[in-house]
Amino acid sequence: MALVFDTANITAVQRRPIRDLYFLRVVSTGLSFLLFGVVGTLLGIVGVPLLLAIPGSTAARRSRVRRMIRLAFRALVGFMNQTGAISYRFSGVKLLGKTGQLVIANHPSLIDIVLLIAFVPDAACVVKRAAWRNPSMVLAVHTAGYIGNVPTETMIEQASALLGTGECLIMFPEGTRTVPDQPAYFHRGAASVAIRAARVVTPVFIDVRPAHLSKAVPWYKVPLTRPHYSLSVGSDIDPLPYRDAPPPVASRTLNAYFKSCYASMVRTT
Amino acid sequence: MYDTDKIFNELRATLAELFELDPARITLDARLSEDLEIDSIDAIDLMDRLRRQTGRKISIEGFRSVRTVRDLVQAINALVNEG
Repeated sequence: MALVFDTANITAVQRRPIRDLYFLRVVSTGLSFLLFGVVGTLLGIVGVPLLLAIPGSTAARRSRVRRMIRLAFRALVGFMNQTGAISYRFSGVKLLGKTGQLVIANHPSLIDIVLLIAFVPDAACVVKRAAWRNPSMVLAVHTAGYIGNVPTETMIEQASALLGTGECLIMFPEGTRTVPDQPAYFHRGAASVAIRAARVVTPVFIDVRPAHLSKAVPWYKVPLTRPHYSLSVGSDIDPLPYRDAPPPVASRTLNAYFKSCYASMVRTT
Repeated sequence: MYDTDKIFNELRATLAELFELDPARITLDARLSEDLEIDSIDAIDLMDRLRRQTGRKISIEGFRSVRTVRDLVQAINALVNEG
């Protein structure tokens, strides 16, 4: 199985290198979290209602809120990058955001989702159900048409419907961050959604060194060296041939294929 | 009255096909999760198939307490006999 790296689409190969000074990075990391919390809350509680006040269809409103989220996350990524909290390289960005596309990715870090949302236009995400219980997020996730990860049958139904209307959906088959030093455990939910409704499945490979904001490390522990996020887009996967088998078999086969794509990514810290 | 034997036979064929199971393993006492390895995502696919076969709207609620094949037969029986 070959990976295809579309080097013509490399994005944001950062800025001039900054010296990695631990102390400064602690400050910029802290500021990044602060920004996320404060600006995120403002946007969630004030920004979304303002956008909703603009007349338009549900679809138009959804696009506006998604755009707001994407630009906010893009700005946050830019901030983290410019201040040296992280560095990143995301190749193949232009391959994402297609009609009926299911974007899957492994999940080593808390900010995987930030990087994906920042660069994939007009996409929905499957996110933790807790977001709907969070007052600063509930309006945003609801209007943006995001999907809660549980209950499973609702998630599959909503995700399939969304892909069916031609939107783009981001899912983490692991459902939660990867446990370091172990291969990723891929739940069959993403494969099942792909079998039902995806026009194409596009894998994104996320590599971060050193481990950053992982399940193993508390978020406030700033790594000794600057974490570098390397994201690349793999070959499209066509779900059509898998649909010849009965759905439970098809989703198992496809999930096994997903796992094989990511198998070489077991981290040894 | 829909014959529960008929339901069982059809269900066994459906389960064998959907999950590529040896029909001999599908007994009334077989537990869906432990014996037949049917998990929650499989249950959704199964509900979809049953919905198509029975023409009835099936919600996952009616099947929450289903543990064995017998439970499933009874749930389907209740479903096709209501209304």
